[in-house]
Amino acid sequence: MRRSAALSILVALAAFIAIWQLVVVVSGFPPFILPAPGAVLVRWATAWSAGTLTPHLLATLQEVALGFVVGAGAALLVGYALARSALIERLLSPYLVAAQATPILALAPLIALWFGPGLAGKVLICALIVFFPVAVATMVGIRSVDAGLLELGRSLRATRRQVLTTLEVPAALPSILGGMRVGVTLAVVGAIVGEWAGAERGLGVLINLARGSLFDIPLMFATLLTIALVGIVLYLVVVLVERRLVGAR
Amino acid sequence: MSSVRPLISLIAILSLAVAACGPGATTPGPSTGPSAGTSTAPVSEEPSQPQVALAVGLGFIKSVQFAPFYLAEQAGYYEDAGLDVTFRHGTDYDVIALVGEGELDLGLADGTSVIPAVSQGIPIKYVATIYGRFPSVVFAKASSGIAAAKDLKSRKLGIPGRFGSSWVMLQALLGSAGLTPDDLQIVAYPDFGQGAAVTQDAVDAATGFTNNEPVQLRLTGVAVNVLRIDSITPLPGNGLIAGTAAIDSKGDAITGFIAATLRAMEEIREKPEVGLDAAIKEVPELGAARDTQAAILDATIEVWSGPAQEARGLGAIEPGDWQKSIEYLKTLDLVPNPVTTDDLIDTGLLPAGE
Repeated sequence: MRRSAALSILVALAAFIAIWQLVVVVSGFPPFILPAPGAVLVRWATAWSAGTLTPHLLATLQEVALGFVVGAGAALLVGYALARSALIERLLSPYLVAAQATPILALAPLIALWFGPGLAGKVLICALIVFFPVAVATMVGIRSVDAGLLELGRSLRATRRQVLTTLEVPAALPSILGGMRVGVTLAVVGAIVGEWAGAERGLGVLINLARGSLFDIPLMFATLLTIALVGIVLYLVVVLVERRLVGAR
Repeated sequence: MSSVRPLISLIAILSLAVAACGPGATTPGPSTGPSAGTSTAPVSEEPSQPQVALAVGLGFIKSVQFAPFYLAEQAGYYEDAGLDVTFRHGTDYDVIALVGEGELDLGLADGTSVIPAVSQGIPIKYVATIYGRFPSVVFAKASSGIAAAKDLKSRKLGIPGRFGSSWVMLQALLGSAGLTPDDLQIVAYPDFGQGAAVTQDAVDAATGFTNNEPVQLRLTGVAVNVLRIDSITPLPGNGLIAGTAAIDSKGDAITGFIAATLRAMEEIREKPEVGLDAAIKEVPELGAARDTQAAILDATIEVWSGPAQEARGLGAIEPGDWQKSIEYLKTLDLVPNPVTTDDLIDTGLLPAGE
């Protein structure tokens, strides 16, 4: 089963690369518009060996990690409150939806102005983008807990904490972790957007450098490839955590 | 089966994308507005020669700085030259890539971007100077005490990022005082944030454009010092670029476009209100702050002329300055492959006498 899953992943990857190469050949786009996959892979390898990617990658990972922890942490608390209090849901929901609907690309420069161009602003941007999907997933998960189980818990005189830890959280975990899968990949987007709003270092900065200063489009694509890999790895981490806590789904 | 379905969907989507990107699938830019005449010159009722289509890329946002192009279009100068011009707006690096690819025939781009772009194989050439003086500057409140490059030591300076013309300019400026970026505290701000950062004293100085942030700051009544690099390193300012393929196939049309644009620049230099009116006609929102836009236009007109343009007229290109710029950008590792001035500029498309 695992072998066939790995094989299908490799086949899909090979097909993607083949289609990319086909697009390059058929479209006739020059390398500074759409470089071939081989050129991007070579540039990726040289960027790694020259140490170009590492400092930027570390900066972005730091923003993603902190932003995810802050955003998801706040989202868990707010999501629970939304699930358990109709009043809080009525009061907060319009603002939460409005915040989600406002493009983060427009907010990011303002956040950089208010909080400065340092780490704090970028962590906030990441946290904002992570918050909504995790909060909604938490709210939905908590609400989906079987009312009969809650009734049973109350009848057995379970404390509030016991109800939370032995009934609500375990039952809501699949939904919460589903939200975190989305949130962790969005955290990468948030970090890049934050860096575009002003940063010394980061994969978003490297994109600007490659594109706007160096006109090194293969390096830009290599950076995009790195960003994609970061997103995939973080997503898989959440999947592994989910399998450990909930089991394979 | 479940692992095959996404693959089929991906292939279908990409196949559609390939079909859309095939030959003949072009996306012409929108026209900037009607080509009705202004009071400065009559408009031809009928074009007297076949119209050659030219797609021209300008800066990211429509602005009073592009007044010559708006005036030339509205006054019919392009039409009189047998041209059917459409303008598109994009960032500097997008315009360069689109001109190199042939999606645009001409574009307005920063000279310091042209050098690394050509070095990376993008087939473009700089064909006319628009900004004879380098527009990227360092500015500070006069009260900060920053009046020369040496005064930046150990101070806090805002910059969009360590890339682009402002980064190149800053290093040249600091180098003239024996400084490096490590000798001061550089703070990255979003593009439009440097002016606010200086206003709020969040930084002591910032990079900006001579016809933007310093002008806006002065209009608030604040005395401003501006540090320029023209006398230090003659970096090429913004100018018109053309793809080498367009130069071969539409050389005469490009010369006509340059001549019409320079004509409009001369008129605006003589009478700035003409340019301001053209810009407001193109972008009515600019009329809400006419005095501010007039001040920006005045500052823009000031940078049209450098030593070469004063000697030989607007649009003139100075090959010696480009050679010095190549040598300087090499020191910043922005020239990965060797280039010569002949690779970068083409003075043959300027109107006779330039």
